[in-house]
Amino acid sequence: MTTDRLVDIFALMAQHEREDPHGVSLCAVAAEITKLSGAGIALTSSDEQASRLCTSNRIAGDLMNLEITVGEGPGTDASKTGQAVDEQNLLVTESARWVIYAPRALAAGARAVFGFPIRIGAVRFGSLSLFRDQPGPLSEPQASDAYLMASVIGRAILAMQAGALRGGLAGELEGTSNFDFSVHQAAGMVAVQGSMTVKDALVMLRAHAFAINKDLTMLAISVVARRTHFDQEDGNWVDVLSAPDQ
Amino acid sequence: MARESLLIATLVELADNLVDNYDVIDVLTVLSDRCVETIDVDAAGVMLGSPAGELQFVASSSESMRVLELFQIQADEGPCVDCFRSGEAIVNYNLREDDNRWPNFTPRALAQGFLSVHSLPMRLRGRAIGALNLFRTHQGPMGVDDVAAAQGLADVATIAILQHQSSLNATALNDQLSNALNSRIIIEQAKGMISQATVGDMDQAFGRLRAHARNHNEGLTGVATRVVEGELLPNDLDHPLPPRPKK
Repeated sequence: MTTDRLVDIFALMAQHEREDPHGVSLCAVAAEITKLSGAGIALTSSDEQASRLCTSNRIAGDLMNLEITVGEGPGTDASKTGQAVDEQNLLVTESARWVIYAPRALAAGARAVFGFPIRIGAVRFGSLSLFRDQPGPLSEPQASDAYLMASVIGRAILAMQAGALRGGLAGELEGTSNFDFSVHQAAGMVAVQGSMTVKDALVMLRAHAFAINKDLTMLAISVVARRTHFDQEDGNWVDVLSAPDQ
Repeated sequence: MARESLLIATLVELADNLVDNYDVIDVLTVLSDRCVETIDVDAAGVMLGSPAGELQFVASSSESMRVLELFQIQADEGPCVDCFRSGEAIVNYNLREDDNRWPNFTPRALAQGFLSVHSLPMRLRGRAIGALNLFRTHQGPMGVDDVAAAQGLADVATIAILQHQSSLNATALNDQLSNALNSRIIIEQAKGMISQATVGDMDQAFGRLRAHARNHNEGLTGVATRVVEGELLPNDLDHPLPPRPKK
């Protein structure tokens, strides 16, 4: 089921894509939907290195550079712990959490910073960082919007890594708001079939669904029913044609 | 055992579980199982609303319940969907007399043998964060005491979600919901790996996860995470014991 807020997010993404077909709209949309001063998305590699996917404005860009350089901050913590991070007033808590990051983030123009993990189950993709030039907590709608945005970004990163983008991201993400459980089970199965990580299995599944023009959930159901599997030796997908479709 | 004693034993067991770093999916699965044993119902399940307001499955007492819960999400209709959206309990809804309230859900549930359905809201500060669903395969209304006991168990489920937070700000509540739902995804990823590696079905895979967590005094999510991250091999997981005899 697609909630109204998701519809808003996709509409906003589509609008950004029309204005700038080559840009990554996710950060701009994250900042707009949460009504905060700026947003940045960092990807986490398998060796825990963070890299920038996008930032929504200059200050967000400075904060991202700072965080990657000093190796601490809201995105780093969110990605490491899998928990949301909330620092409502950098001026008050300057010394406590991030000794190097906090004073420089303040100098860059941030007053409150928030970090959200981007993950699908045990698979960690990175983090969404948000900042505001005023102190204070997130309101309830802002907090839910940030979580919602983090889950949309997770699916977006998966689609990008799988090379599964026909048109814009918004069009690709619409209709797959909620991954069926079979997608997660299939990712686990394919990981064992191909001796790969669950993250790679998820990307492989997404890429294969795109290549054969099939819905990801339908492909996953077929994997769980053991009608489709990944053959590690030839690196190919194999369909067991004799099995009837359920 | 008399119903009251069973209920007390269940509440004590759940309270015992709600200490230290308990696993929320574990507690909610136990809670679903105990609903079936203590209240006059045949299947139970818990669904939670995501921070975005999407309803998602977290725990159930049986496979048929799980399938029906997932179907409600897909079809976007059913007792749980209505209860979650309105925040109002649905009690003793007779599916045979359903006049097209749930045109897709009702025939499915009847085909699985369920005759009446109940859904109790998991309430927190005036909003529903999820619902406890109870289905029966036999006719006749659920008694007033059973309804009260069921709402009590739904309240325990809410407490389990809140974990150790005494005061919850907006981010903390969303964090708990999001973590509970993400835990369920980790478990599904691990189930997929276990089912492939051990050539078993998803239920057997879940049984192995649960048995291993129990035997080693670990949380389900922790064991599942170690499986997904490759630290624990599926074939090294413990096997479940035969089901305990029904009291």
